[in-house]
Amino acid sequence: MEEIRIGVYVCWCGTNIAKMVDVEAVAKAMREIPGVIVAKDYKYMCSDPGQELIIQDIKEHNLNRVVVSACSPRIHELTFRKALENAGLNPYMFEMANIREHDSWVHTDRAEATQKAKALVAGAINRVRWHESLDKRSVEINPATLIIGGGIAGISAALEIADAGKQVYLVEKQSQLGGTVAKLDLLFPHLDSAQQLIQPKINRAMNHLSIQCFLNAEIREVFGYIGNFEAKVYQKDDLETEIQFGNVIVATGLKPFDPSKIDQLNYKRLPNVITSLELEEKLLSGNLVMDNGKDPKHIALIHCIGSRNKNHHEYCSRTCCNTALKYSNQIRSAFPDAAIYEIYSDIRSFGKGCEELYTHTARQDVMFLMYDQKGEVPKITEARHSEKVNMMLEFREQLSGEHVEVPADLVVLMVAMEAHENAKEIAHAVGVSMCGNSFYIEKHPKLDPVATTTGGVYVVGSCQSPKDIPDSVSQARAAAARIMADINFGSVEVEVTTAVVNEDICCGCQTCISVCPYTAIHFDAEKNVSVVNEILCKGCGTCGSACPTGAIRSRHFTDKQILSQIEGLMSMQLQH
Amino acid sequence: MEFEPTIVAFLCNWCSYTGADLAGTSRMKYASNIRVIRVMCSGRVEPTFVLKAFREGADGVLICGCHPGDCHYHEGNYKCLRRYHLLQNYIEQMGMDKRRLHLDWISASEGKQFAELVDKMTQTIKELGPCQVKHSVETLT
Repeated sequence: MEEIRIGVYVCWCGTNIAKMVDVEAVAKAMREIPGVIVAKDYKYMCSDPGQELIIQDIKEHNLNRVVVSACSPRIHELTFRKALENAGLNPYMFEMANIREHDSWVHTDRAEATQKAKALVAGAINRVRWHESLDKRSVEINPATLIIGGGIAGISAALEIADAGKQVYLVEKQSQLGGTVAKLDLLFPHLDSAQQLIQPKINRAMNHLSIQCFLNAEIREVFGYIGNFEAKVYQKDDLETEIQFGNVIVATGLKPFDPSKIDQLNYKRLPNVITSLELEEKLLSGNLVMDNGKDPKHIALIHCIGSRNKNHHEYCSRTCCNTALKYSNQIRSAFPDAAIYEIYSDIRSFGKGCEELYTHTARQDVMFLMYDQKGEVPKITEARHSEKVNMMLEFREQLSGEHVEVPADLVVLMVAMEAHENAKEIAHAVGVSMCGNSFYIEKHPKLDPVATTTGGVYVVGSCQSPKDIPDSVSQARAAAARIMADINFGSVEVEVTTAVVNEDICCGCQTCISVCPYTAIHFDAEKNVSVVNEILCKGCGTCGSACPTGAIRSRHFTDKQILSQIEGLMSMQLQH
Repeated sequence: MEFEPTIVAFLCNWCSYTGADLAGTSRMKYASNIRVIRVMCSGRVEPTFVLKAFREGADGVLICGCHPGDCHYHEGNYKCLRRYHLLQNYIEQMGMDKRRLHLDWISASEGKQFAELVDKMTQTIKELGPCQVKHSVETLT
């Protein structure tokens, strides 16, 4: 067996790690561990000079294993694997110890944090001893793309890819394309027509030679992996279509918050309390009247319904302030004499042209009243018969500090955006994760905002977080560009950390087959052993834990590797 | 000196490890007694891993996976849950308090919950005192 020669690198991450962890002491302690040839600390291991340091050491000291203790492997594992490759080592001969997110950033005692860092790095050193070279596998990319959701985001991505001459399958749950935008009248900040924006796109998508649209359709399960997915599209009358594709874009959009959850708004009980989307319907039909057919004289718009409040959604829905400002302008031009109230908590009119919209609206004789949306929303009640209006809103006005009553004929609730009701099923079907609030999680919030942790699956538009049209379209086109790059290249490298059966030990009990969620293992009756299909296996390792004889190994997460890591961790334990 | 336990934690890559990363990115503070091992899925946590940790001197073992229904691999966390109950019985029969082994669900967005969980578990183990498994094994052999 070859001699194990390990290089250990402890990153300062500027002061991020070095402030709380004595990086020098960690490196020094690691030098005592058998097999460690060099152990160094350096300011930024991920920087070019940092990586160069590793590469030089590998060459100079004939290292065959490397441990970097720095940030989370979720951030830089691939960076360092690449460095190993550049130095001629197999990229899997590498292990990372997370001493930033799991140590320096979460602890306050330097001695304890240093002790913990030593343990984590010692664990990584012990683990890397047992690492094996693994070959990368390259798979061809099927140039077709599945897009789930035919709103503005889905359509934009579809057209981008189809215009490049590649096949798109566009699956929409409703009977027509267009999503939320197709339900809108005018758009902020310039009050241009939503229909003029979306209808030509819908027509183009419906008639595009490279786009196959499935309406009233859904996807229940997606099989395969990046480059080679397959699924069935289910439509009415038990119509099923099998499709194959290399990438998936999820663009399932949003659902409006249901304000009947907030009792004192009396939504559904008072006929002239409506949601923003219900107002859009009225505006779109050109019939902005009360339930009795008369023109409203007092109109109140209440912001932040369901947003920015612990009881509902803590997040800001990002579009409602600007939408409410848009309404004030639309209402003002329809009823020059009407009283308009914007009952807000903070006006967040960010975005190009939007602060200008706010300034403009403020000059339209609109009254802005501030309420505390973290406290109580305005209470809406039916007005007494003697009043000339049909409703009264009561709340504490924040700027004056006074309890006020606002008369209203029509109340518009600026409701929050929520993830689509099918978000969870779709997440399961395509293998993406969700935040606590049901929006999908992107691979990296800043550096990889449209990809997900599942290769070949992208999330765009409001299914990822509340978004306006420009942001949704930008994301859609970004995902399309990512996919086009892969299609253009023709192939992609995939992880090879699958399970593998040692046929000499396998007793043929088939326990692994019963626990595999991907039916990736089959039984070879002739040899009386289980066989893993490495294409279908996603490397979860469940079979490895269930195997009674230890015949199945999870590559890169083998028993030996993890048991050694435990030994390493515990070799530096706190003294009782 | 107050007893400072060592807790070995197995976190699944997709939900819990990411949640623990989020606790870091958000600069939440929690007890430093925990030593994390990353596995792809909580379903990968073999009983031997848990027993090995106790054998090597861990005072507690924590396993975290995706919430029920949210497993990246569909159902690995359910497999883990079944093993967990069996393992708790097992360590109890070995004379250990079964609270030394704890399974919980931490999603990728639950950094705060992770920090609270670590503090709570550390407190529990502190109350239970040092685990004697390593000592007993060494005495026997």
